[in-house]
Amino acid sequence: MREEATAGPKKGWQRWVTLVARLVLGLTLMIAGALKITSIDAAINSVRAYKLLPFEITWLVGTALPIVEIVIGLMLVTGTFTRIAAVLGSALMLAFIIGIISVWVRGISIDCGCFAPGGAVDPSQTQYPLEVARDVGLLLLGVWTIWRPTSVFALDAWLFAAAEPTTVDDQENLR
Amino acid sequence: MTQNRREQLRKAEQAKANQQRLTRIIGVGAGLLVLVIVAVFAVVLISQANKATTAAPSAEQISPPNALANDQGILPYPGAAKSGVPAVELFFDYQCPICNQFETIYGDALEQLASSGQIELHYRPMIFLDVNLQNDSSLRAGIGAACADVVGQYRQYHDQLFANQPQKEGAGYADSVLRDAIPAKLSLTGDKLTTFQKCYDGKQTQKWVQAQDESGAKAGVTGTPTFRVNGHDVALKEFASPDQLGQLIKKFS
Repeated sequence: MREEATAGPKKGWQRWVTLVARLVLGLTLMIAGALKITSIDAAINSVRAYKLLPFEITWLVGTALPIVEIVIGLMLVTGTFTRIAAVLGSALMLAFIIGIISVWVRGISIDCGCFAPGGAVDPSQTQYPLEVARDVGLLLLGVWTIWRPTSVFALDAWLFAAAEPTTVDDQENLR
Repeated sequence: MTQNRREQLRKAEQAKANQQRLTRIIGVGAGLLVLVIVAVFAVVLISQANKATTAAPSAEQISPPNALANDQGILPYPGAAKSGVPAVELFFDYQCPICNQFETIYGDALEQLASSGQIELHYRPMIFLDVNLQNDSSLRAGIGAACADVVGQYRQYHDQLFANQPQKEGAGYADSVLRDAIPAKLSLTGDKLTTFQKCYDGKQTQKWVQAQDESGAKAGVTGTPTFRVNGHDVALKEFASPDQLGQLIKKFS
């Protein structure tokens, strides 16, 4: 569970790339979650439309997914436990990609339900290549963030700051 | 202060600082966990509260007379099917535009096959578009149709619903259409009209309609129209001209 906040990147610019990566991935997840959380029934229907999961657990996934998306998004945006959040966010993206490819392969016509109530659509309205490409891009941002979790403007800097004794009595001995 | 004493103090300070750091990390982690748990509870409670608003009305709940057992839909042509003919299930939502197109193109052919007893037709109303369109129009239309079955006019009411489907998806059916206009079109009068309107006003078939939606979802139907022959789905792209519908059904049965 230890982040390697101290083993920072060799190059300063990488901290900025990570900032952009976690902000884009985090905000995307937060928006997706926020749009779904207002209508949980629709989110459950979207999950059912994939015809991947047993009927009994679609309720659970449809209810939990928006919350999970928002929380992981928040962690990424604020840079809290960045590496853990990036692992979770990447896993989520991987699951979404697998889900979309599986409906694509099976010839089911749905809207992915990523940002709005999904469900069955006319075959001419499917946008699988676009949806997969978008999620692959987001996955890459997640993987980068796992590789280089240290970034500027992150709460982790405060959270994992090296423990400093409060007395300055002996500072030179500590260095 | 001796060097030794100083060393000890320094160690103690360092240990305290390490402890504080650990506490901080664990605290933030625990905080996130609590956030997730609270959010789950909030979401579940709110969606339960929303369900309560569409809870079954107080009026006595009934099943339409031609309903199939175990919430498997309704027979528009009760008793017409010959023995051994394929069971054809049509899943639809009264607010679904593609269902309306399907009805326009294949409705007559399907009704002809059903009335002549060559297939056993099961209508399976669903209402999930209420969720997507944020209204309760599919439910109310379903209640109306099921109440029409009480007075023996299910099939006719069903056809009228599609004929009167709002041009714009999501506009929904007006209560006046469901309660007054369609029954007038079907020449419902006297006792029959009173029976129908009592049923409609009391939403006496609401529970039944909701149960049909639930059973449809359990049967794996996530989009409408879904056309099922003896349990096998027939993709919409398989459909050709209406006069070949009978052969298509044979092919899949």
